[in-house]
Amino acid sequence: MKILVLGGSGYIGSRLCAALAASGWATPVSASPRRVTPGIEHRRVDTRQLDSLTQALHGIDAVVNCVAGDANSIAHGAKALAEASLAADCPRIVHLSSMSVYGAQEGQLAEQAPLDPTMGWYAHAKCEAEQHMAAFAQAGGTVVTLRPGCVWGPGSHLWVGRVGRWLRAGRLGDLGAAGDGWSNLVHVDDICNAIIAALRAPLSEGQMRTYNLAAPDSPRWNEYFVDLALAIGAVPVRRISTLQLRVDGWVFGPMLKVAESAISRVSRLGHTVPDPISPGLVHLWDRHLRMDSRLAERELELKWTAYGVALRQSALWYLQSDGMPGTHRGTAVPVPPS
Amino acid sequence: MIVNADTIETGACLWADVCIVGGGAAGIALALSLTGQGLKIVLLESGQAGEHAPTQALYAGEVADERLHSPPDKYRTRRMGGSTTIWGGRCVPFDPIDFEARGHVPYSGWPISYSDLLPFYPEANVLSEAGRFSYDADEALGPGASPMFRGFDSTTVRTNSLERFSCPTDFGKRYDKRLRLAPDIKVVLGANCTAIRLEAGGRAVEELDVTTLSGHYFKVAPRAAVLAMGGLETARLLLASDDVAHAGIGNEHDAVGRYYMCHIAGNVGTLTVRGTPDDVRHGYEMAPEGVYCRRRLSIAPEQQRRHGLANAVARLHFPRITDPRHRNGVLSGLFLVRRLISYEYGKRLNDGTATSPGLYARHLLNVMTDPVDTAAFLAHWVTRRTLAQRKYPSVILRNRTNRFSLEMHAEQMPNPNSRVTLSERYDALGMPQLRVDWRYGREDIESVDRTLQLIAQEFQSTGAGTLEYDRDRLEEDLMRFGAYGGHHIGTARMGTDVRTSVVNPDCQVHSVRNLFVAGSAVFPTSSQANPTLTLIALSLRLGKHLSRRLAPKPRVHMDLVAA
Repeated sequence: MKILVLGGSGYIGSRLCAALAASGWATPVSASPRRVTPGIEHRRVDTRQLDSLTQALHGIDAVVNCVAGDANSIAHGAKALAEASLAADCPRIVHLSSMSVYGAQEGQLAEQAPLDPTMGWYAHAKCEAEQHMAAFAQAGGTVVTLRPGCVWGPGSHLWVGRVGRWLRAGRLGDLGAAGDGWSNLVHVDDICNAIIAALRAPLSEGQMRTYNLAAPDSPRWNEYFVDLALAIGAVPVRRISTLQLRVDGWVFGPMLKVAESAISRVSRLGHTVPDPISPGLVHLWDRHLRMDSRLAERELELKWTAYGVALRQSALWYLQSDGMPGTHRGTAVPVPPS
Repeated sequence: MIVNADTIETGACLWADVCIVGGGAAGIALALSLTGQGLKIVLLESGQAGEHAPTQALYAGEVADERLHSPPDKYRTRRMGGSTTIWGGRCVPFDPIDFEARGHVPYSGWPISYSDLLPFYPEANVLSEAGRFSYDADEALGPGASPMFRGFDSTTVRTNSLERFSCPTDFGKRYDKRLRLAPDIKVVLGANCTAIRLEAGGRAVEELDVTTLSGHYFKVAPRAAVLAMGGLETARLLLASDDVAHAGIGNEHDAVGRYYMCHIAGNVGTLTVRGTPDDVRHGYEMAPEGVYCRRRLSIAPEQQRRHGLANAVARLHFPRITDPRHRNGVLSGLFLVRRLISYEYGKRLNDGTATSPGLYARHLLNVMTDPVDTAAFLAHWVTRRTLAQRKYPSVILRNRTNRFSLEMHAEQMPNPNSRVTLSERYDALGMPQLRVDWRYGREDIESVDRTLQLIAQEFQSTGAGTLEYDRDRLEEDLMRFGAYGGHHIGTARMGTDVRTSVVNPDCQVHSVRNLFVAGSAVFPTSSQANPTLTLIALSLRLGKHLSRRLAPKPRVHMDLVAA
């Protein structure tokens, strides 16, 4: 059983390759434009190019789509993947979507909730990608679409690394009502387990399943921020006023983003610019959307990593790799929020 | 969702599993604890999201002695969020001894214990935004934290119990979105419950009458009704609902409105601590979660029992503000602007001292001769309080002399003659107004006196300092402003003896099987602690009881049955 992992050098993709290799059940093949993980077979693929994908899918039994990137890579890449899989006779795709397909909706949402592509380019691209997956299923393929919340755990620059830095810098803390939204955090190992279960699920041709993935004990953002701050010693935790948060998001956010891109273009020092807090993040922390993941729990037989365990692992990773003075500070993967 | 009462058709009857009357700390905590369990919850709030003078005027009433108790429309606000819109945010749990029946405190003893309430305190702390449930300084502030007094080691007088401070959180604003989004909660604003209608025989609530100031009226028919209206209003509604139960609901034994308690409070004496000012922690410290905490003096429980004391705490305080001899620019500044401060916070700056041009001149002189301190204080106040979302809780002066007055906050003994009753006057909705006859007793003053003696002895014997106070003036010092404002306790107290209590250990009115009370009205005794945190914990406990009693049983999964 050969599994092609698109985006195999990314946060989820690299852990998935390791998990698959360790499982003894399947052989992972990592597909990415760069970086090779030692010991894992690698194919250089441009996921937006049909030919490149079709070639890479040769001799592959199933493919996992963990591609991150811009709107084109996500939406057009999904289209190319669907077509290439048909052409190469690869029967199954496990596609990583996102909770951002639910847009601005709030409340408890299960998989049947309508999609809302109006929340910026990322949500739009993710919704479009899901449509291409549906088309693949209609053409006789088998698709499992996973919609994770915020994927964290050791190694997560997005939801541990930069959050820790914001906490240390006094830019984040207890946000009051502005941080009352549900975090929908989900451990990266749980995502890998869900992907493996999706690869092994007894599904027939033309079938498509969709699952939300958020740990049922994931707290509201404020609780996570305070817990992480205490765990990494970013104390006393600050109460951040709504005004400060908005100024950081709407005024400094775009400025920092521009500065980061500009400096990255001319030097390797882009990561020295403080991480921008985007307006999208400010909205996310205030969004009372709680993903109902009971279907995945039942059908994929998932066992969630407990919040406290994930927190300890994440804080330890932060302190070892990210927070010690003088060590290289990891940079957030340039994927927009949610 | 949140709707306005005027949008509900006149004459309609809303059905609910639980109808909560009152959208303050108790009502909101209860509603949030009940959501997501398949129950339909209606929360009636008299006020709107903001201030509304005609609604606030519904609180008007009379007091037997204006020197002893503030008017009933002060220290409480009739709007969404209730009095959390004006509270100071002090969070302190009750002590285990508060729940005990104590021989020296008449009518003391709760039918539940500290451990029954303990499971609900952490969540109450979270809702209050007061950080972790940790009230021991060593645990909350870490082992490196400095003691209150260096070199003061006493097993009688404790210095490591903490009070924590909420932002102070306005529950209406803070939880507005949760309430709006909850599909099973319907908050109705502008909805005044004017009567509880019992079924014939009086054993159960049939309906609640609801009226708006614009003349709409409708009914709510709940499976369970919960009064979460505050210690004064709960008694008022119970007493006014007298069509079936002629003495008022739950009042078969004339207990509703009695045992009314506040706290015994005032600034007393002079504590002179030996050593340098660096050796004393008199102000706020910040816990790792970013919450302001403060140490206080208290008497160990075994010593309270031994000496027959009611519970009490003492905080280190500054000299009497009105007396310009303190020569402190900040205090004089506060005195000069006291009329700009709200009634609730300015009250203790107006102690009846006769004002004269000379007095003003001396205070002004203090401000002018102490410009650095005054300016530093103002800058601190603006940045840490006015502009901050987590507010610096109160005025703390720099300690230069190691001399303090003691700010006492003491338990009041339950007394059936301290009571609220209905007056002859009526409000705009036709409800009889309240008459407050708050009383204290000699034993309340004596208990504080003996507490102070113990503190004085301990400072003396350890050589840590001296406490001097004028015993003859103690009553005057403690009663200068009357009852401590805003703590309305005991008017529908919890107990197992129907002759001296109104609700049972589940907060259910003894005689009415589906009528409950949330809030400090049910406290049988008042503790040293401010009531808010404990009334939230009790509301959460009531929420658990109600969901156990009313929530639909989870359906057995058909797959499992089939297998």
